[in-house]
Amino acid sequence: MIFRRPVEAVGAGTVRVAEEVGGILVLSAQVVRACIPPRIDRRELVRSFHKMGNRSVPIVVLTAFFTGGLMTLQTGPFVKQLGATALAGWGAGYAVLREIGPILIALMFSGRVGANNTAELATMTVTEQLDGLRALAIDPIRFLVVPRVIAMMVMLVALTVIGDLVALVGASVVGRWLLDIEWSTMFHSFADNLKPYDFLHGIYKSIAFGAAIAMSSCYFGVTVRGGAVGVGRAVNAAVVAAAVSIMLLDFFITYLTG
Amino acid sequence: MIELVERIGSGAIAFWRALVELWNVYVSTVAGCLRALSRKNRANRGELVRQLYAIGNRSLLFVAVTLGFIGMVMTYEACLQLSRVTGEFSQVGTQLVRLIVSDFGPTLTAMMLATRVGAGIAAEIGSMKVTEQVDALRMSGVLPIDYLIVPRFVASIVMTVALAVIGSIMMYAAGGLTAQYSFGVNPNLFFDLHLLRLRHLAMFVIKAASYGAAIPVIAGFCGLRARGSSEGVGWATTAAVIGSSFAVIALDFVISAAALFVSGGDL
Repeated sequence: MIFRRPVEAVGAGTVRVAEEVGGILVLSAQVVRACIPPRIDRRELVRSFHKMGNRSVPIVVLTAFFTGGLMTLQTGPFVKQLGATALAGWGAGYAVLREIGPILIALMFSGRVGANNTAELATMTVTEQLDGLRALAIDPIRFLVVPRVIAMMVMLVALTVIGDLVALVGASVVGRWLLDIEWSTMFHSFADNLKPYDFLHGIYKSIAFGAAIAMSSCYFGVTVRGGAVGVGRAVNAAVVAAAVSIMLLDFFITYLTG
Repeated sequence: MIELVERIGSGAIAFWRALVELWNVYVSTVAGCLRALSRKNRANRGELVRQLYAIGNRSLLFVAVTLGFIGMVMTYEACLQLSRVTGEFSQVGTQLVRLIVSDFGPTLTAMMLATRVGAGIAAEIGSMKVTEQVDALRMSGVLPIDYLIVPRFVASIVMTVALAVIGSIMMYAAGGLTAQYSFGVNPNLFFDLHLLRLRHLAMFVIKAASYGAAIPVIAGFCGLRARGSSEGVGWATTAAVIGSSFAVIALDFVISAAALFVSGGDL
């Protein structure tokens, strides 16, 4: 049979994806269930906030600055050619607030925090620390997963707010230094053309992205198998799953909320 | 106060050392490429083909799906915004293709590859490092960089350019479909390439090739620095994803700004 191998490959791939999506959904349900009487370990939560939020600020600020600058670099020459510098902030700000800002910050967050979290949970799983917790009658989901999921969702939103602001600053700086657009022109252009809803639209997205990153990184962390090789593979799978779900969610949110 | 200065200073020194080490890895990789060319040995060819397959073919679906979706979103947002202001869609396609070719196509493809390929390379080399396979290579007289990073370096440059072409086409095609079905834009008007210039294509190749060169060097460097056991591999993989994603954004900025100076503010 000449068709056997491709059919097998497609089937195996589909089954694996279905298994992963199902596993992530089951874990999400368990996380929600564990939140119902909200008994969250406060120390673990604060530690996660600090580690995932505060310590990601530098990389998010750098990324956002370059992103804002890039958007001005790409739209600026076109705007200048038309002689409509009053619109310079429109293209850059709109793209940054609604699309590129949340997406790039989420991708960096997934790389820094999501991957790190997978590595940490996976190391705990392969060294049987999760079984140790279970033996002590401590639910690993309530103790380890729930605080991380909450911390990631809250912190991605907070970092996106900071990142949006920095990106607009980056757009203005690049506009001033590379394209000779005055600070005040840029500022008025932002103020006149951007609506609060544009900003909120990006924030909706970052809530969904935070949930997707948190669930996929925890899922691949707690289901890992097989030593150091397994940990590497789990981190790889987690960042890929997070990237795909960021793109899919972005599309659906844009389409549904306009 | 002194503690703060100490912390900043030690961070800066560690960063600078890592940068120097990264530069060394890059130089040895390029030197390894030249050596492999002059030696014409066949041993590495099988490895190169394997890496081309692992980096290219196995990322194809991932890149095509993600870039297709992002193309739809970008077109949708652009059309939505235009429909509020002018309601005139004749420029959407021609401007979008310029943006895709000169920036978004290669950059977003590389961002996706930085997560998939960067994490993969770091996990693989990191696992080899902590299980002392890298030391075993060195013991048997093989340079780890020549054996591990050089084939990935060449494969990644070739495949990033190839995948960027496919990803950009996906983006443009998905954008065209969205524009037609959601806003009724005529496809003939949308798929109009007359604003595309040779310099946009040059930009495309330069950007894709430099991202392709940066990702395996950074990921390989992080993998070779892995220490300890499974925890070390996890750290190395995380560092590789962050380092290569950030390198893509920074390179994009530097190349775009340089192009702006070279072309004198022209598009």
